[in-house]
Amino acid sequence: MDNPALECRDVTVAYGSVMALSGVGIAFEQGKIHAVVGQNGAGKTTFARVAAGLVRPAAGELRINGQQVKTGKVKDARAAGVELVHQSFALPPSFTVAEAMEFGSDRGAAIFTRSALQKRWAPHLKSLDVNVDPKRRVRDLPVETQQGIEIARALVADARVLILDEPTAVLSPSGIEMLFERVRKLRDRGVTVILILHKIREVLAIADTVSVLRGGRLVDGPVACAEIGAKRLAEMIVGPAVARTLAPGDADAATGRGAPAAHTANHHTPADAGLVLDMRGVSTQSDAEGPALRDLSLTIKAGEIVGIAGVEGNGQRTLVRAIADLVDAMHGTLAVGGVDVTAAPLARRRAAGLRIIPFERNTEGLSLSSSLWENWSARELLQSRLLSAINPARLKKRCDEALQAWSVHYATTGQQAGSLSGGNAQKVILAREVDADAKLIIAAQPTRGLDIGATAFVWQSLREARDRGCGVLLISSDLDELFDISDRVVVMLSGEVAGTFSAPYRIGAVGAAMTGVSQ
Amino acid sequence: MNDIIVAILRSGTPLIYVTMAGVVAQRAGIWNLGLEGLMIIGACTAIVGIVLTGSFALAMLIAIILCVLASVLLWFVIEKLKANPIIAGLGLTGLGLGGTSLAVQAIFGSQAAVTAPFGVPKLGPAFGPFGVLSIFVLAMPFAVFAMWVLLRRTRFGLRLAASGEHPFAARSVGANPSRMRLAALIIGGVLCAIGGAELAAGSLQIYAQNMTAGRGFMAFAAVIFGAAHPIGSAFAALFFSVVGALGIRAQLLFGDAVPHDLLLALPYIATVFGVWLSGKLRGGRKAATGFAELRDY
Repeated sequence: MDNPALECRDVTVAYGSVMALSGVGIAFEQGKIHAVVGQNGAGKTTFARVAAGLVRPAAGELRINGQQVKTGKVKDARAAGVELVHQSFALPPSFTVAEAMEFGSDRGAAIFTRSALQKRWAPHLKSLDVNVDPKRRVRDLPVETQQGIEIARALVADARVLILDEPTAVLSPSGIEMLFERVRKLRDRGVTVILILHKIREVLAIADTVSVLRGGRLVDGPVACAEIGAKRLAEMIVGPAVARTLAPGDADAATGRGAPAAHTANHHTPADAGLVLDMRGVSTQSDAEGPALRDLSLTIKAGEIVGIAGVEGNGQRTLVRAIADLVDAMHGTLAVGGVDVTAAPLARRRAAGLRIIPFERNTEGLSLSSSLWENWSARELLQSRLLSAINPARLKKRCDEALQAWSVHYATTGQQAGSLSGGNAQKVILAREVDADAKLIIAAQPTRGLDIGATAFVWQSLREARDRGCGVLLISSDLDELFDISDRVVVMLSGEVAGTFSAPYRIGAVGAAMTGVSQ
Repeated sequence: MNDIIVAILRSGTPLIYVTMAGVVAQRAGIWNLGLEGLMIIGACTAIVGIVLTGSFALAMLIAIILCVLASVLLWFVIEKLKANPIIAGLGLTGLGLGGTSLAVQAIFGSQAAVTAPFGVPKLGPAFGPFGVLSIFVLAMPFAVFAMWVLLRRTRFGLRLAASGEHPFAARSVGANPSRMRLAALIIGGVLCAIGGAELAAGSLQIYAQNMTAGRGFMAFAAVIFGAAHPIGSAFAALFFSVVGALGIRAQLLFGDAVPHDLLLALPYIATVFGVWLSGKLRGGRKAATGFAELRDY
């Protein structure tokens, strides 16, 4: 074998007391497509950032093309030909496409004109099949195009190793096909591509080799994809300890093994169940945080989980904000648990049974600097009268019971919420929002960033809430998750309902609705 | 007519230089509320420097060095000590206003205004009625244009803007956002020294306590009004100066009918109006938020 395109030796990274990577040694062959997989928290992104020079490891060395490179220096890594495309793209939103290319470049005139800049970068974009007007601003472009630009940005220099960190997470199924086509073309041009992925299906569709990380350690790899089966790969990702505790089907959904499938076929919502959410013709105004809802109607019955699918930024956040009274409905009506709350403030909506697990766990879901009991008791405080007295001792005791019941790992109810891991923090929110009086639970990306054990726990909790007669609105960008636990999947596109699907789901049809292609 | 233009250029030039300092800081992600302090340091040092050294060039050099040092101090407090940029900027303003008074007291033994025998070199008779203006007035349009080129048409400018808008993006192409902010504040220090010197030594040749009278904050308002664009912000600053000059003119004409204080307040009223208008026009969308995200994601 020639010199490996990229090689890590005994790389160790620690964030505080957490070991993100410990003693990882791995070498990638030139001119192939390599996949690195693992669950959330396995160290995939840290690995990518070490290779790109964004993170300096505590120990270990990095070799590119056989040459040792100083770690922790983006400039040195780029000079050696390593480029990284980030999961949430690293492009300043106010820049034009041409400016976004230029600011990543190292050559060319010191002073430029707009037209020279466009002339310089238009052929480059074209050669990579990124069809976009270089005068347009990054913030106005759809995610697929932004990703194309980010890849083009990474290739302005003479990249020999291109690392893509979870590039499929933001894409529709057809967008993923386009990306894979692009990646294959790059390989044919001699670029070594390393894809950080987390779905086995995608790994087997695109990669030549696969490496598995778990808990910051290399489990195995690189192994030729031809030599490893999906089942073996799933076991390597999940690990034997967690695998035993998962409900049937959840392991497959969490690792994206095989085709997405419904595992709730045996659940039937009673036909005569009452509506816990009844939105009729709701329209809002667009704002900085998302597009407007346009004449959106959506109903959820008691004992039903309705999933919302869609490419990010198509009004999912506005939908949650409209239900939570954070944005005003201009037209239409909204009822929760049979009570009309169109003009009611959030407190009255919560009194009617609305509960919300928000998108941003650490900023909207919890006050990280407040104690666990304060966070937990927020539900009652929000619903009680303004001048009712608070008895901390009683609240602490009840919080203790609730958190125990939800098997949260914590030391005392007085500790700060920020000291918990992602999975435990989400359990605190569940303990607060999924109570006996809940009628409608909005779960917005409830498993984002959680490892497989915690993900399965969240799914199980939502299923149990449904079986008690709650309605659940699940918003997720992960189709496997939606198909696994939803009774019905509604696709959103540009603030409108683009289609409603029920099991058995066909990924092609759902994907087409997500991008607005009629089938 | 010419005397109105002279009056506008006289009051507008210091403001525009300081506005440029605010623009470059804003683009790099720092709300520089220390402009007022930097400007008074520039004004005081220029006059005191001329009195003590007898040389304009030497006085200017000292003014630039002091303003740059004060800017580096601001950078250190914000970036290294992780202080809130707003509080740190206001602190620098306090330091500038207090420090200059203290320095004048220490050097001259009194708080009285200091008069210099000469000021910034003038353009001279070749410029006709504009000959009374200083060379900094002539240089001002070129400085604005140079800032526009630097910030909008160079890779340095793009990386500076990325450092303010999306530091992680800047980092991932190999730029160091913290160092870009240092560069921005150093450039701003030089501009504030010139702006302050022009204010005190451009025409009056006098330094008086607190003579900036909120012009640093007005410059900051011009940055916001102009969306941190060099040319837009320069015009915003010029607009405030025009209103100010008209206010003085109106005093002469309608001084009896309208309260004198109201006319003096015109530029400040225009500033508030301008900031409100810029918010309306942009519909809440900001070119640069100014709060650099210190957290990576």
